[in-house]
Amino acid sequence: MGFLLTTLIFVAIGIIASICVRICCNKGPSANLFHLTLVITATVCCWLMWAIVYLAQMNPLIVPILSESE
Amino acid sequence: MADHGGGGGGCCPPMDLFRSEPMHLVQIIIPIESAHLTASYLGDIGLIQFKDLNAEKSPFQRTYAGQIKRCGEMARKLRYFKDQMSKAGLTPPVKTEAKCDISLDDLEVKLGDLEAELIEINANSEKLQRGYNELVEYKLVLQKAGEFFKAAHTSAVAQHREAVSEQAPEESLETPLLTDQDSKTDQGKQVKLGFLAGLVPKAKAVAFERILFRATRGNVFLKQAALEEAVVDPSLGEKVEKNVFLVFFSGERAKSKILKICEAFGANRYPFAEDLSKQEQSITEVSGRLSELKTTIDAGLLHRGNLLQTIGEQYEQWNLLVRREKAIYHTLNMLSIDVTKKCLVAEGWSPIYATEEIQDALERAAIDSNSQVGAIFQVLHTKELPPTFFRTNKFTDSFQTIVDAYGVAKYQEANPGVYTVVTFPFLFAVMFGDWGHGICLLLATLFLIFKEKKYSTQKLGDIMEMTFGGRYVILLMSLFSIYTGLIYNEFFSVPFELFSPSAYACRDAACSEATTIGLIKVRDTYPFGVDPAWHGSRSELPFLNSLKMKMSILIGVVQMNLGIIMSFFNALYFRNPVNIWFQFIPQMIFLNGLFGYLSVLIIVKWCTGSKADLYHVMIYMFLSPTDELGENQLFANQKTVQLVLLLLSLIAVPWMLLPKPFILKAQHNRTHQGQSYTPLEGEDESLQVETPHDSHDHEEFEFSEVFVHQLIHTIEFVLGAVSNTASYLRLWALSLAHSELSTVFYEKVLLLAWGYNNIIILIVGIIVFIFATVGVLLVMETLSAFLHALRLHWVEFQNKFYEGDGYKFHPFSFASLGDEDE
Repeated sequence: MGFLLTTLIFVAIGIIASICVRICCNKGPSANLFHLTLVITATVCCWLMWAIVYLAQMNPLIVPILSESE
Repeated sequence: MADHGGGGGGCCPPMDLFRSEPMHLVQIIIPIESAHLTASYLGDIGLIQFKDLNAEKSPFQRTYAGQIKRCGEMARKLRYFKDQMSKAGLTPPVKTEAKCDISLDDLEVKLGDLEAELIEINANSEKLQRGYNELVEYKLVLQKAGEFFKAAHTSAVAQHREAVSEQAPEESLETPLLTDQDSKTDQGKQVKLGFLAGLVPKAKAVAFERILFRATRGNVFLKQAALEEAVVDPSLGEKVEKNVFLVFFSGERAKSKILKICEAFGANRYPFAEDLSKQEQSITEVSGRLSELKTTIDAGLLHRGNLLQTIGEQYEQWNLLVRREKAIYHTLNMLSIDVTKKCLVAEGWSPIYATEEIQDALERAAIDSNSQVGAIFQVLHTKELPPTFFRTNKFTDSFQTIVDAYGVAKYQEANPGVYTVVTFPFLFAVMFGDWGHGICLLLATLFLIFKEKKYSTQKLGDIMEMTFGGRYVILLMSLFSIYTGLIYNEFFSVPFELFSPSAYACRDAACSEATTIGLIKVRDTYPFGVDPAWHGSRSELPFLNSLKMKMSILIGVVQMNLGIIMSFFNALYFRNPVNIWFQFIPQMIFLNGLFGYLSVLIIVKWCTGSKADLYHVMIYMFLSPTDELGENQLFANQKTVQLVLLLLSLIAVPWMLLPKPFILKAQHNRTHQGQSYTPLEGEDESLQVETPHDSHDHEEFEFSEVFVHQLIHTIEFVLGAVSNTASYLRLWALSLAHSELSTVFYEKVLLLAWGYNNIIILIVGIIVFIFATVGVLLVMETLSAFLHALRLHWVEFQNKFYEGDGYKFHPFSFASLGDEDE
């Protein structure tokens, strides 16, 4: 689906999650900032992991060699 | 307000939990009559940590030592009651909600009465029980000995008749004049023969017999009979196997010897009448008394049971009341009493947001205690370091505990706990990645969370307590594990084609070269995670190892950069530009010039698919930077870029090391030049009470010490940049171990058992698989990954910015009394 497209999907999910968290637990500006930080950190971590695995498979230097027991 | 050059909040808006609560030192002057009530209300609020103003006094010299002794006495009585209740098998009911309005003095009197009553009941019942046991033994003696005598009597009568029939013809000629015959025939009147009856423990019976025999030189006749059941010994109170004995002797000396021997062996003697009729009378008498005693004892036990029951209902409340009072008096002991003895002065730390609440409580206490004067509340200015206080809820509390276990944050420094909430479960999941195991963990922790209310009031074992306390940590860990499991494409080590068909296919229709040269990539990259074609292939490990190692490095560099950026925010907050220019910037340049560059190379290699050898590139960047790169070139002008980065990194090292000590020295000289006249600070003199403030005025500045400190810091950072980056490779290592273990259990246990086509072997195989998965993978691997994720946070992340040498805020609060064990 393409690297950029999926990255945009991650960004969108992050924004939606932040909005949801703001709607359901609105407890004052400092608490809101804290929740926002958590959501953004989680999104960044998840995206990072996905992006690394995706990039590593884009131009592979080795290919799967099946084992003989079949 | 503590003046630490803090309060630089202008750079960014405040965030919950990022910095500890602002605290101030308050002084409260309380009139004596409202002291007790004030302490009680402040304990309810639980937001002041009192300083001990009487630290030099011994516990006996303090004002309220007598009250504490009273409370100690009452606590002792309560413990005695608890003991008695547990002995009687009663458990006190768990906390009832009813508040008890009893005052301390009334409670003291009541406890004293109850204790006296209980002791009396216990003593009486013990006496009665002893008497009962003796009577039981007496009855047995009467029965058994009676049997002896009856048997002996009948045989004697038989013998008598024989003797009489024999002797009758000889009476005329040979009637002796002595009365020996009379005494011989009449066995009922034993003038010289005495006897003793009693019970001796069966274990000592043989020795008893032997010693009696020896002591009296064989001049006794002992008859023993074993009792079928064990009887309760009156003095020991427990069941012992006994024998009834009857010993016949002649003479006073023999009697005294036998008495002494009986005492030595613990044999109880009982009076025994010779007359048959008297024996029967005794037996009926004893039986009557036995049944009487039994009813008395039962009534006594019932009364005691009732008493303990009433105590049990009130026990928890009384316990709580006594502990509360004790805590209040301990706190009051910490306050210093004014010279005029009319008021107490308290000093303590409290968060600034609680000021109104505290003032409210003081007013209420003044009104409720009908005192003439209200309490006075004022804020003191001091240079002491305040305690660290984070307002956590049940979710963030466990994460903050993890951070605090390493070291409590210094007052108002950046709290790594904010990021730990997400990065800790994330790093755990990188090492644990399997969405099947993640689901198991999720189910386990959801169970704990649903039963939260029930478990939080119960007392759990140690391990269960830790697991329950960390339930939210485990929840996040399991959610992230499911995500990384989907990315690694492992469900109990089995991959699935969830998002699209695999990107790899055979080169030709017959798949002839699949096992030699391998498949080729025919479609777009598998969109989410590792392609399922890799699992089970021969080149799986080389591919995954390369992927995971590079992933670990990338994640490590990102987290370390975050750490250095946190130090930037700290320097900004505490208004420390030296740290920004001469620590933050060279650190960023050094770390990113080397390992940031490595990360960039990794990404470029992935994006272009080049065959460059990154090890070679990095090593020769140092060994021979001016060499041509040849086939290791990843982008244009790479050589120039590498030279520049190398130069910058080399400059960064002395940049970190040299300027800061000199600048600090210059600063110190500047601030202390005009120090001959120290201006009078606005310290409050309150009622001639001295508040000891730390004197920070004589800060000695040892240049050599500062220089060595900076040298150590620089070396630690430079060497640490390499070692910490390599340390992140544990993410690869543990994830590999987990995946391999999982594969082994699946293939060598489950599939093997499936291959036999036998239902019993299959069931055995499934059971072994379940036990192995739970024991090794779900418990051991979880703990292992938890530990390593913890280490990565505590060392590699936190050593970039965290000082952690503060002390925790321990307010005087009644809520924390419930957690203390007696």
